[in-house]
Amino acid sequence: MNNKQFLTELSGRCQMSADSAARQVENLIGVMEKLWQDGDSVSLSGFGVLEVKKKNERVSVNPSTGVRMLVPPKLVLTYKPSSLLKEKLK
Amino acid sequence: MDNKINLSQLADLLSQAGGMSKSASEQFVKNFFDIISQNVLSDGLVKVKGLGTFKLLDMEDRESVNVNTGERFTIEGHQKISFTPDADLKERINKPFAAFETVEISEEQANEIAKMDAEADAPKADAPKAETTKKEASKKEAAKKEVARKDAPAVKDVTQKKSTRIILKAALWLCCIVVILFVSGYVFWPLIGSKLLELSDRYITDGKEIEMISDSTSTAQPYKTEPVKAEPVKTEPIKAEPVKTEPVKAEPIKAEPAKATPAKAEPVKAESVQAIKTLKVKLTASDEAKDLSEFTRDDVVNYVIDGDLDLYTLQKGETLTQVALKYYGSKKLWPYIVKYNNISDPGKLQPGARIRVPVLKSK
Repeated sequence: MNNKQFLTELSGRCQMSADSAARQVENLIGVMEKLWQDGDSVSLSGFGVLEVKKKNERVSVNPSTGVRMLVPPKLVLTYKPSSLLKEKLK
Repeated sequence: MDNKINLSQLADLLSQAGGMSKSASEQFVKNFFDIISQNVLSDGLVKVKGLGTFKLLDMEDRESVNVNTGERFTIEGHQKISFTPDADLKERINKPFAAFETVEISEEQANEIAKMDAEADAPKADAPKAETTKKEASKKEAAKKEVARKDAPAVKDVTQKKSTRIILKAALWLCCIVVILFVSGYVFWPLIGSKLLELSDRYITDGKEIEMISDSTSTAQPYKTEPVKAEPVKTEPIKAEPVKTEPVKAEPIKAEPAKATPAKAEPVKAESVQAIKTLKVKLTASDEAKDLSEFTRDDVVNYVIDGDLDLYTLQKGETLTQVALKYYGSKKLWPYIVKYNNISDPGKLQPGARIRVPVLKSK
């Protein structure tokens, strides 16, 4: 499902125009981004948790050349599905 | 910070930002995530512009090992939802660390980093931090100078290629080391100082030995005097640092007097006291005060050799301290290995040398 199909489905369910749905999606993502940047996590029952995690720096080795690289620390947005959703998986 | 935002809180924030009513916002957020979770199950893929891609992945069977029992077992194939954030969003989230780049490093540096990581697991994190804040400014400067002087050859090529960030990072690490060394100097100074006084007394009463002393002290002097000179001044760690940088070279030279110490159960001679002290200074420096609190002279003289434990083949670039660490869990016990193998010059050991590792029994 691509973004267009997603917006169509969303606008249909919320009875709003596709345009305003797109605008609200932008707003929602903007709101969540602010939360993530403050270090908060977004937790929704039935869906899961979206949160920012810090990955520590590490030394990685290129297996073919043996060159060692120091990979810097980074902040990554991670998603962990809720157990409810996981149960529906095979 | 660290709050868990739930559906209604998120809906509140959205209604403020998007001008929708609260109930409509809540409905919207609910539908937003419902559609994602439903369609990722049915379609296997949901792309949301600005957020990212949710994907359903099939994991195949794979074999694994139970870490406790060592048994092999298969993890059955299953499905898993992966999430890849949008490139733009990913970049914005990582903004605080955006300045860092992946850099190439030499093997030596990689080892050093690994060592530091291992030590960072220990209490290091809290203890030095408090001090760092106190003397940060002066320390940082000192550390920077240190980098320029000490690490110049090693870091040079990297720094030429990649920015000053490495220097900053090294400076930070050096800051920690400097603080640790400072503390170690502080802790051991009274110990060493009192020993010195005791010794000088002994020598004065025992006139004949004076010649010997001048010999033995002259070798040990550089190590001892450093902390002595440095103590009143704040810059002590800088002077102490060079000792640390060459632990491998420094240790073997002095190894002979040290080796004699633990074996001789005789009343401790002036000479061996001297040896232990030099050993101690070296060890604390090279250990970077890791086990500061545990380290006493007793560690080095409190064991007797009791038979063979293992036959070990020395790897390239390995030192006896590393062997000692491996078998005894302490770097400080390497003199026993020297003694047991009758190694005359530990500095000249070749890779592949067979070393008998003794069993140590506490006295």
